[in-house]
Amino acid sequence: MAPPIETGQPGVIIIGETETKDELSSPWNVIVHNDPINLMSYVTMVFMRVFGYPRTRAETLMLEVHNKGRSLVWSGGRERAEHYVHQLHSYQLLATMEKSAA
Amino acid sequence: MIDLNVQPLDEKRILISGIPSVLAAMLRELPEILELRDSPDARARLYPNPTTGNDKINREWHQMAGPELRHLFVSAGETVTRDLTALTADKKIGDAWQVAFPIEHVSAWMNALNQARLILGEVHKIDEAEMNRTDFDPQSPKDMAALRIHLLGYLLHLFVELDSAHEPENRL
Repeated sequence: MAPPIETGQPGVIIIGETETKDELSSPWNVIVHNDPINLMSYVTMVFMRVFGYPRTRAETLMLEVHNKGRSLVWSGGRERAEHYVHQLHSYQLLATMEKSAA
Repeated sequence: MIDLNVQPLDEKRILISGIPSVLAAMLRELPEILELRDSPDARARLYPNPTTGNDKINREWHQMAGPELRHLFVSAGETVTRDLTALTADKKIGDAWQVAFPIEHVSAWMNALNQARLILGEVHKIDEAEMNRTDFDPQSPKDMAALRIHLLGYLLHLFVELDSAHEPENRL
């Protein structure tokens, strides 16, 4: 996500090397956090829409958010994780991403 | 008794019928509530950080994703505000209201209803315990905000049920 650095010389930019091979290969977890306002039925619907999960899986994850305060709803590459977090924010769910410890 | 219903009116329109007067009044207040989306409390909730500790990612995220999210939220609010100008008396039920709008607006309605609930929750600092209460003091702005969150939530839930009717296993 590092933006190119303008050098002032026409046609010359420096691309910052910010992501190491290790960072690119480690999976990222998408976490959804509980909040007191969002409806359980609405959260279930969002999981089905965003991830394409079947209702049973979406409900299990929703209940984990409700009962434990958070749930790991998806794990994988960073770009997809960013995409999913953005989608979840557009549905007004509290979602974050974090690099997997594994 | 609430006889609120959200259902297809025909192939192109959705009808919300049986809207009790108290909910109709709340719906008319939606544009005013949604204007609070840029208050500091509401902003923190509607545009949350994507990580819990990486300031660099968070900063870049808000620069990149923030304007797009705001556009989505503002646009949904404007769509519902326009639709609500068609709110009329529901002649089948005494003292009730109804409104019809294009089926493409369903996502905007869900977005705007949830926005309003979250904004009310943040502005009035409503927590889980207050959401679980069933007694409301009409003199308490906080209690009245919680009541509004519940009523708008009931309407949102009907939209969710309408959406679930389109799941493959529920299709005829």
